Amino acid sequence: MIGVYRELEGSMRLAGHVLRRCWVLRLPPVAEELTRQIYFTGASATTTIAIRAALIGTLIIAYVIEVLNADAALAVKMLLWVVLREIGPLIAAVLVIQRSGTAVATELALMKISGELASLRHMRIDPQDYLVVPRVVGIALANTALTVYVQFIAVGGGMVLSALVIDASLGEMAGTFFLLASPLDLVYSVVKSLLFGAAIGVIACYYGLNPPGNSINAVPKAAISAVTQATLAVMLLNVVFAYLVYGSALFGLFTADL
Amino acid sequence: MSAAEGVALGYEPVAEDQRREARVWIATGGSHMVPAVSAAFKSALLSAALDLRPRRDARVVVLGTEIDALPAKARAGLRAQVAFLPANGGLISNLNGWENIALPLGYHAPKRLPGLAPEVYAVLEQFGANARSLLARLPEEMTLYERKLAGYVRMRLGRPKLVLADDLAGGLGADERRHAADFAAAYLADCPEGTFIQLQDVPDESG
Repeated sequence: MIGVYRELEGSMRLAGHVLRRCWVLRLPPVAEELTRQIYFTGASATTTIAIRAALIGTLIIAYVIEVLNADAALAVKMLLWVVLREIGPLIAAVLVIQRSGTAVATELALMKISGELASLRHMRIDPQDYLVVPRVVGIALANTALTVYVQFIAVGGGMVLSALVIDASLGEMAGTFFLLASPLDLVYSVVKSLLFGAAIGVIACYYGLNPPGNSINAVPKAAISAVTQATLAVMLLNVVFAYLVYGSALFGLFTADL
Repeated sequence: MSAAEGVALGYEPVAEDQRREARVWIATGGSHMVPAVSAAFKSALLSAALDLRPRRDARVVVLGTEIDALPAKARAGLRAQVAFLPANGGLISNLNGWENIALPLGYHAPKRLPGLAPEVYAVLEQFGANARSLLARLPEEMTLYERKLAGYVRMRLGRPKLVLADDLAGGLGADERRHAADFAAAYLADCPEGTFIQLQDVPDESG
């Protein structure tokens, strides 16, 4: 229990540091780290995620139309509610945890064990400024961009593939989508993705900077803890968002007015 | 005149039985060799010189300043004048040679970055390195000498007044040792008022 409290407190302190020291992103080496992180987390993940997103969109439409025997309008509503608000941010977050969460925790743990954090301190560079701030901000921004990308591919690709695979009219689906979609859906998912990304970044950095030991065995342990705790944090944040938006946790989606 | 004046690095353990072998008192200017009699001594000396915090176990003087009397606010200013060159060069593994060398300057004095390249090339070539190749490589692709050299160039750019170099010749071949032996002279030619202190590991003869 004390360990959990210590980890929570450490992560919160790290998040506070990022908020207080955001200005270091103006410094050239920190800005380069930010660019690298955005590229690694965002740009290099796009191909991996595109096929999954399109297939999920198709699956939702096909399921609603073929299995539930509903019309295209309901299928698009489901796509809007499920993909835009819930699945989109979650798919992006899970991918980011798998790729960047493990990479950041492993990299920082290795840097600590090999004495590179001490080298940074010898150069009077605060490791939290140089390593944590750009990683947390970079992951938050890239996660948000990935979420929008997932939503676009899942909704667009889902509708196109559904028109090809099952008997659904693309024009009818697109018309219904633009009728129902609201800018608030996008704002909601962007805010959520920013928080998901920041939480993943902070947790991965915390476990990377605090590996359980100084041997090489501590590196995979740090990565495992980062993945486990980041997944838990994203799920908890999702519950908090569901509660705030729908008025009840977890099952709010089903009580909302369709 | 205070006892600390004219002292580049002073380290005197409080315990009398430790003073004889662990006392370091080095005047400002020139190149000096300090035998690291034990790992604990080296660690304590480096910690005293680089952390600049008052210690209970030793009296510490850095660049003429008694650390005990140093206000916390003045610590950063004094620390900026002290550089440490680790035995392995202290490079960051995911940055190439150029990024490693430019890192502290980019962080502390970004305005100096644009005119940096000629200075870096000159120092690297002075010590027999192929500058273009070294600057493009990651530390894992460099030899130990190249890593030390990159760390040395990085240190030089900060223009410190006190340099602590750990085991500069350790692990190097004969030619590389000759080059490394010139590190101190080149630094002092560039910064005549500076002090270059080499910590020399003492071979363990017990076993």
